[in-house]
Amino acid sequence: MTERHSDDLKLLLHAALDGELDAAGAMDVEGRLSADPALAAEYARLIALRDAIRTRLPRERAPDALRARVVAMAQTPSQIKPTTPRHPWLLIERYRPLAASLVLGVALGAGAYQLFERPSADDDAQRALVAGFIRGRLSGQTVDIATSDRHTVKPWFSGKIAEATTVVDLKTDGFPLVGGRVDVVGETPVPTLIYQRREHQIALTEMPASSATVPSSKPRRETRDGYSILEWTEGGRVYAAVSDLPPAELDAFGAAFRRAAAAEREDTPKP
Amino acid sequence: MSFRGSVPSDAARRRFNEMVLPHLDDAYGLARWLTGNQTDAEDVVQDSCMRALASLETAIVERPRAWVLTIVRNTAFSWLAKNRPKAVVLTDDPQLLDAAAARRDSAPDPEEALIAAADEAALESAIQALPHLYREVIVMRDINGMSYREIAAAIGAPQGTVMSRLARGRARLVDKLGSRA
Repeated sequence: MTERHSDDLKLLLHAALDGELDAAGAMDVEGRLSADPALAAEYARLIALRDAIRTRLPRERAPDALRARVVAMAQTPSQIKPTTPRHPWLLIERYRPLAASLVLGVALGAGAYQLFERPSADDDAQRALVAGFIRGRLSGQTVDIATSDRHTVKPWFSGKIAEATTVVDLKTDGFPLVGGRVDVVGETPVPTLIYQRREHQIALTEMPASSATVPSSKPRRETRDGYSILEWTEGGRVYAAVSDLPPAELDAFGAAFRRAAAAEREDTPKP
Repeated sequence: MSFRGSVPSDAARRRFNEMVLPHLDDAYGLARWLTGNQTDAEDVVQDSCMRALASLETAIVERPRAWVLTIVRNTAFSWLAKNRPKAVVLTDDPQLLDAAAARRDSAPDPEEALIAAADEAALESAIQALPHLYREVIVMRDINGMSYREIAAAIGAPQGTVMSRLARGRARLVDKLGSRA
């Protein structure tokens, strides 16, 4: 079969598999596949290969020791000597106190920090949310309830959080729901939703604003410890999305979430 | 693997936290696939991060992930050339694709089932057996989920090259995994 298929067509098949074709190109490939069983068989093999790789060879995580060394690299200029030791354990030795203090810092979180610096409430909350995000990624346990169904998450939260939580389905926007968990900011339990984008996750936390009359605000993006945070206020509630996604994609997530939340508010009759 | 550099500025360290740290998993994954083991991958990533930090004093970075992976692959290839000179095969030969494709013609459907049933070890060894230039694009696309555009930026080649290397690499994997006894 293959001799009849030009190299261009083969490349097209891979582009279709990788979702890199526009609608017209995808239709063209679909047409060819249905007319040509040999081509369809080749395509089926490529799908089998892709799926096997995806399910059996998951994306790897950098070992924690390596991460600690790299983090230390950027945080302690005075400790970086002109030459790196060839053996990793020498470097661990050198950075051990720093790695330890880093872990301690994340573990103690906002509470201890406040004793010394008294940052704004915002800063505190952000710190706690980023720490929650990192903790989730490190432990591999990002959700307390795993479900892609928003009608399952919402009642689960209502058993744990006093106020109603906004839960929207963003699957068609390319951000499927993974589940939910309860984070703690200061001493307040707050609902956090986890959405997926490729191998990245977005943790969206909803918190009461300092007062119910705080005006709504447009999303504002910040970076903390290498993670992006997108924050906005709507109807007396503060929403903060933390992610390791590229900033532009987090902006797209924010836009999709606000659009879906607005649509839901319109559907819900006022009490 | 030593790298000489001066003390990085605050700005470089801040940019490092924003641009490099979020992509550490991808950096490590690529290094692991290119070197074939964890210890060497850690060395390569650490060295790459030192280089990244040093060049962030001046570099203008548009696509941080692609930029980080460019440094990782270059560091990995230098490391391989020095430490595993016999292992580096940078083949990019179209003839191989056709040969693999021609062999595929005889048996269509059972192959698909065999590929789908390939276990982790079979997949791992088939991918590790690929030439590095094919291996890296398959890791970036199928494991790291990068777009053609981003991969093109990372390997410093046109998108057409990304596509043809993906096609050749996958043809070999299909051939190898689909013909297991």
